[in-house]
Amino acid sequence: MTSIKPMIEFKNVSKLYQLGLTRTSLPRVISQRATALFRKGTPQPDRDFWALRDVSFEVQAGESLALVGPNGAGKTTIFRLLARITQPTSGTLSVRGRLSALIELGAGFHPDLTGRENVFLNGAILGLRRKEIEKHFDEIVDFSGLERFIDTPLKRYSSGMAIRLGFAVASCIEPEVLLVDEVLAVGDAAFQRKCIERIQQLRANGTCLMFVSHNPYLIRAVCEKALYINQGAVRALGAADDIIDAYQRDVQNEQAQALERSHKGEHEPAGDGEIEITNIEVSGEERYGDGTLDSRYSAQIRLHYSAAKQLGEVRASVFLIRSDGVSACMVRSSNCSERLWIDEGQGQICVRLEPLQLVGGTYCVEAHLLDETDSILLTRRTIRSDWFAVAGAAPTNSNPRSGVFEPRSRWSHTTDQDHEDELESPVENSSDEAYR
Amino acid sequence: MTATAHARRLYDAGDLLYQWTARNVRARYQQSALGWLWAILLPTAQALTFTAVFTVVVPIDTGPVPYVLFSYVAIVPWTLLSAALPDMANSVVENMSLVTKIYFPREVLPIAALAARLMDAGVAAALSLVLFAWAGVPVFGPTWIALPLLVAIQLLLLLGAGLACAALNVLFRDVRAVLVLGIQIWFYATPVVYPVEMVPEQYRAFYFLNPMAGVVVGYRDVLLDGSWPGAYLASSAAAAVLIFVLGCVLFKRIEPRFSDVI
Repeated sequence: MTSIKPMIEFKNVSKLYQLGLTRTSLPRVISQRATALFRKGTPQPDRDFWALRDVSFEVQAGESLALVGPNGAGKTTIFRLLARITQPTSGTLSVRGRLSALIELGAGFHPDLTGRENVFLNGAILGLRRKEIEKHFDEIVDFSGLERFIDTPLKRYSSGMAIRLGFAVASCIEPEVLLVDEVLAVGDAAFQRKCIERIQQLRANGTCLMFVSHNPYLIRAVCEKALYINQGAVRALGAADDIIDAYQRDVQNEQAQALERSHKGEHEPAGDGEIEITNIEVSGEERYGDGTLDSRYSAQIRLHYSAAKQLGEVRASVFLIRSDGVSACMVRSSNCSERLWIDEGQGQICVRLEPLQLVGGTYCVEAHLLDETDSILLTRRTIRSDWFAVAGAAPTNSNPRSGVFEPRSRWSHTTDQDHEDELESPVENSSDEAYR
Repeated sequence: MTATAHARRLYDAGDLLYQWTARNVRARYQQSALGWLWAILLPTAQALTFTAVFTVVVPIDTGPVPYVLFSYVAIVPWTLLSAALPDMANSVVENMSLVTKIYFPREVLPIAALAARLMDAGVAAALSLVLFAWAGVPVFGPTWIALPLLVAIQLLLLLGAGLACAALNVLFRDVRAVLVLGIQIWFYATPVVYPVEMVPEQYRAFYFLNPMAGVVVGYRDVLLDGSWPGAYLASSAAAAVLIFVLGCVLFKRIEPRFSDVI
């Protein structure tokens, strides 16, 4: 234990919201009492909602902590508590130093006032003194890129312009604690980059950061630690990489289960069942020792079958399916020279993927057996392996554009001025050497 | 937190108070052709209406002072009350989107609403100097020293009542309706259109528990009669202080729930 006090400290913080209690009116109260009289013993519906339950964590000076979790997990409630907008129902929290929250950009902007007037108004709401704003005014206008419109009433601004002005005001504060809540999702790419640069600049100056985002790359770029919360409770706290992976595996598992449910009762054209796949096993090199396969290495898929009679030559098709329902690939035995000859009894068909080369995520394997012409389905039941996690060379992410396939890559770079011999020294992907 | 800590916090929010007041005033007159002239036009029109009714239809004796002046002196502080209280009551509710998203001293909202109306009252009060000159009433007499006291009593009253209404309005929107009715009744309980001498002697002690009665009579004594406010001001001042304290306590008690009750 260090004797230095943390910048942010949550101690067993719980927050209770009472749903439905906000719109009490005398007529309604009377009617509720009256119905309760007639329907004795009917318990009142549970209106308590625990947005946070017994949450404890600390953020030390200079640290940056990302909050991850599904919608409604309690991320916003933590921010609201930190920003003193609301008070905890129980527990204590403390924030040392000046806090600035990039939660609601341009709060209090008035459409009838000019950009200039709104800068001063917004700054004052954020707790800036007039002199401070005057000192930073040119910087704010410059950052927002709105020099020409600064004396135009705000109602003539586009929403993007207003948000740019809002961020410019909010970020000219040099806070000791900065809260950033998904605000970067707005604005164009150039502006987003500016915002991230500004956040990183503040981080470099020792500002303590708390960050909410659904973008894992962004979290990795600005945070070293992460807190995973779900249903108001802390699930895990640790290094950002580990926490994001853990969170995304949970998300993918949930997706997989949803996929499973939606597939139940779905019947595909099936064979007569003279041969059935009884089990599918997937194995390979593990990344973390928890069953997560490392996609840079090879993996094996083993199909256990049971045949009621001799079938002769068969073909196998193996599908890799990702948790979001995307079919990652199909591997067919007809594409290779190996013959699969089936006699009566049980056995195993094995296929080796070398290397796996999938993008990180959660996958499962589905397999069918077909006759020698590769056209008639022999198996009646569709069997799936258990879901398994794959860690790719690149970080796990949910960006649909990252696809499912992660080829081995080698990068090089030349400019027009370069001599040809420099082409001979390619820059290698750091993960490349790990490929076997 | 102690009362001094609250005051200190509010002092730190001075810039915000100024900005928010300026916002209210600017926004109010932004697209109006007459702008701040309304601050004079409204009380003047009201004074003329009252003069027509209470000199022609139901004549009221106001002694040597012309009725226009007699009523104008009361209409200015009364208009401040009747305009500021609804504004203050709505100030928090109207800015709920701000209150639920950003932390700042919440008192700024009702106080800035009052400050914005206070500017109007100041403009209207300046016009009364013209009326005084026209009617031959001595300007800047020695009793004018008592003016700050009268203004202070009224401000304490408005702050207390306004803070209470602003906080209660968050919980119960009924406050708005009650306020409309309340201000109407309050108007008749205050000697704006009639002289206090018309109130039967035996009710006077009770009557001056209405702080506005003491304030209005005080303005007339000090400005028109050139006399010092009498003992009646004590009970009005006491009532104003009581309302101020109750209003502050009520606001502080309800304030933590603002952002949870949307």
